[in-house]
Amino acid sequence: MADYTAILPLIVLAAFGLLAPAVRILGKSDKATAIWALAGVLISGFFVADFFLSYPPGSSVGFEGVVELNYFSALFMLLFLSVAAYVIIASLRYVDKERHTGEYYALILLATTGMMIVASALDLITLFVGIELTSLSSYALVAFRKTSKRGSEAATKYFIIGALSSAIALFGISLLYGVTVQFPEVLVGSNPLTFENIGAAVSAAMGTPAEPIVFLAAVMLIAGFGFKIALVPFHMWAPDVYEGAPTTITAMLAAGSKKMGIIALFKVFLIGLIALKTDWELLIAVLAILTMTVGNIIAVSQTSLKRMLAYSSIAQAGYILIALPIAAVSDPAVAAYGLAGGFFHMITHAFMKGGAFLIVAGLSKVAVGENVADYKGLARRAPWIAFAMLIMLFSLAGIPPLAGFWSKYVLFSGAIDAWQLNDQNNWMFWLAIAGILNSALSLYYYARVVKNMYVEKGPQDRVRVPTAMAVAIGICFVAVIGIGLYPQPFIQACIDAAHAFLGI
Amino acid sequence: MSELYDLLQDINILTLLLLVPLIGALLTFFSGKNEKAARLLPIVFSGLTLVLASLMLLGFDFGNAGINNYQYVEQYDWVPSLGITYHLGVDGISVPMVWLTTLLCFLAILFSWDVKNRTKEYMGLMLVLEVGVLGVFMTLDFFLFYIFWEIVLIPMFFLISIWGGPRREYAAIKFFIYTHIASLVLLLAIFAMYFVAGGTSFDMIYIQEQGMDWSIGFQVMMFLALFFGFGVKMPVVPFHTWLPDAHVEAPTAGSVLLAGLLLKMGAYGLIRIAIPTLPDGARELQWLIIIVAIASILYGALASLAQKDLKKMVAFSSISHMGIVLLGFATFSAVGIAAGVFQMFAHGLITAVLFMVCGVTQHIAGTREIPKLGGLATKMPWFATFMMIGFLASLGLPGLVGFAAEMPVFFAYGFMNGAWNWLILIPIASVVITAAYYIWSMQRVLFGPLTEKIDTSHLHDVSWYEAAPLIALCALIIFFGLQPGLIYDFIRPVAEAISALVPMGV
Repeated sequence: MADYTAILPLIVLAAFGLLAPAVRILGKSDKATAIWALAGVLISGFFVADFFLSYPPGSSVGFEGVVELNYFSALFMLLFLSVAAYVIIASLRYVDKERHTGEYYALILLATTGMMIVASALDLITLFVGIELTSLSSYALVAFRKTSKRGSEAATKYFIIGALSSAIALFGISLLYGVTVQFPEVLVGSNPLTFENIGAAVSAAMGTPAEPIVFLAAVMLIAGFGFKIALVPFHMWAPDVYEGAPTTITAMLAAGSKKMGIIALFKVFLIGLIALKTDWELLIAVLAILTMTVGNIIAVSQTSLKRMLAYSSIAQAGYILIALPIAAVSDPAVAAYGLAGGFFHMITHAFMKGGAFLIVAGLSKVAVGENVADYKGLARRAPWIAFAMLIMLFSLAGIPPLAGFWSKYVLFSGAIDAWQLNDQNNWMFWLAIAGILNSALSLYYYARVVKNMYVEKGPQDRVRVPTAMAVAIGICFVAVIGIGLYPQPFIQACIDAAHAFLGI
Repeated sequence: MSELYDLLQDINILTLLLLVPLIGALLTFFSGKNEKAARLLPIVFSGLTLVLASLMLLGFDFGNAGINNYQYVEQYDWVPSLGITYHLGVDGISVPMVWLTTLLCFLAILFSWDVKNRTKEYMGLMLVLEVGVLGVFMTLDFFLFYIFWEIVLIPMFFLISIWGGPRREYAAIKFFIYTHIASLVLLLAIFAMYFVAGGTSFDMIYIQEQGMDWSIGFQVMMFLALFFGFGVKMPVVPFHTWLPDAHVEAPTAGSVLLAGLLLKMGAYGLIRIAIPTLPDGARELQWLIIIVAIASILYGALASLAQKDLKKMVAFSSISHMGIVLLGFATFSAVGIAAGVFQMFAHGLITAVLFMVCGVTQHIAGTREIPKLGGLATKMPWFATFMMIGFLASLGLPGLVGFAAEMPVFFAYGFMNGAWNWLILIPIASVVITAAYYIWSMQRVLFGPLTEKIDTSHLHDVSWYEAAPLIALCALIIFFGLQPGLIYDFIRPVAEAISALVPMGV
């Protein structure tokens, strides 16, 4: 009998998701549906946590060569499940009294299942299935308020761009398939599209007439995944979609879906196309710097807080992306450290950006607008929420000792580490410089929100965010402060994950 | 080792010094609507911190005061996978700074007795600031140092942007971003030194030992980065432009802490980290440090001469006086370094008086414009006394604390081996300019006929909560002016040791 350890969390989550509409119809209660969804997340999380507890670092459990549970995939499964958990808790009050809540929770669980499939996928087709599962669920979630014009517009835009980028990525995958079957002698097993086989075939293809095809595939994959994670210049859709979507879903897109895209990019490039690294590492580095700079510069001029956070998400993806060229260096310890920085920043970003979006969602529920100017005097109207926002924003800016500071620290110091490793990678230094200058730039627009909340005078009435949403915000708040004060286990988990990812 | 030392070591005095103001800050923030508690709690807690710091001063072990002989050391693992520890310790350079910090925070809080707008936030932020500054002066771990260094920015940003003058928002953002960029450059240098030292430990002492073997090129590069990071904070010309804005707009207590303590952090970083860790880099760049120091001294003095706003004049004079600190360090001689550190201490006391006097002027006369003032001494004799003591101390009158710091710096530089020591003429000429702007402004503000440009009918002398800190500070200015040896005894062994690291001192 096959070992179901690796696939059990996925099955549980998908099953709970598929049954959620039924629970809604039978139970006739939004609350019961949300609790059902939360139970699915917790049970799935239990199975993932069980893996952590029963296996030592470095071990892995596969399932039929399709998915694999290891210290990397398990970590990100837990991350995606945490995101799903706080989104569901916040949604308890955010989408109450609306129609189709059963489908809403079902889609959240299915989207999360897709992200988890991506984290654990061993071959490109599984990876693509995971991405599509998440994307299709997200399109519908963005359009959840179908009477909202902006929501529908955002969903349409998201769908068209998403479908286009999937097609481009799929074209890249098919090109890679064409290359791998040309080199049957290096393939292991029956599946030519596992990352291991792609890696072997690509290195065999170097110097043969197939090399330009591989290069073309790499460009296609960068463009395809670049759309998904809103890299500059493929970022145009992101602010509109983030602004138009229900804010809890925005939190999920920023905290979950985007990380999924980045993981897909990491998997394809660091395992599949590593032999081609001299061709792509500089390209990715330039894209990373471009993404963070453009994201931050445009964020400065935004008046809508949601759009500002959307642009800041673009910038943060740029920071994370600098881990990709660092992780491609030949020294395994340095590569693992750099990659761990990327992972760590994905984790902290999921909480700080998700938390910030949830605060926007919670306040919009009590008639506080979504513009930066609407936050004037918030420190008096809702002291705890304002303080939580302050913590989230300062963490995003990288002010110590908050979570975002530590992850940026590991990330940028990884670049310095790679730079001092050998003289050939001198440009690695500029990755750290660009990251640091961008952090300083971002401080400007974060500080502006803080100034509005704490310095400006605004309306005097107190506002009370619904309890369920306050709990979800509280989860993010505790995570940001907790990781900030005691980062050790998280850094260690990311380093273990990086080792598992790179197979060292 | 005295019994007091053992006792203080047993109660983890340094951690206690951080905890007491932190608890005070939290209690103040949560003191509800009770205005009285919001005033009294900070005074009690900052007072308690001052008492603890004074005990630490008394228990200091002079028999064991060389470099890397840190006292009251505490060390615990924090993030073992990156080699970050919670490592505290003090030596002869940090002890006077720690004491100065607790003193100025206590007096600044007392001075702010009449703050009415959002009192508890104001007081709480001052205590948070105290925690940050104390942390900077006590930590022996690079990483922890950086964290405290950055923590200091946040309360100061709020102090300026909420309680500041008319252009406070501009000044606060400029201060925040300018110094944050400097911090980030500092962070880059910390990364680089950490990895080159093996990537296993952020311990300052460990990295300093590794630093001996680094190539000159690397040392020069790192020193430049650190010099920029610390220089912006000091500030030195040409990175000083945030300072006049921040000072003019900050509330009085904020200015006192900004000038009295935050500027010292920059100088402290140079002497604690940059010079001992990178002695070859420092030596190679001595010319640069000297040029920057002399430029700051001269530029600060000339700019002060041109100011109409009393507070802006004092702000520019800070640039000039911090230049003297830097000039002392630039000699790399024991005398120069010791005098530079003493100047940090002296300037902390003096500048607190100066900014408090400016605050009183604004508060009582309603303006700080020198041309609008005049003859205040007739109506405000106590005020006039404090102002004169502060100004005279700042221009370096013998017998007051400023003289005991500046004179040895000039000696150390003037008698240094090197072709450039004739440049001493410029700082000495600057002292004349300094005397000019202080005496001239004093004459225009205090003496002559009572001004008719402002309504003088409500003029009254300083209130008790303003007088008490001013009396204490003036007494200390005179006391340490006559007995500078009490502080020099702390500094000298460390200064000698640092000087020995840089193979060129006199």
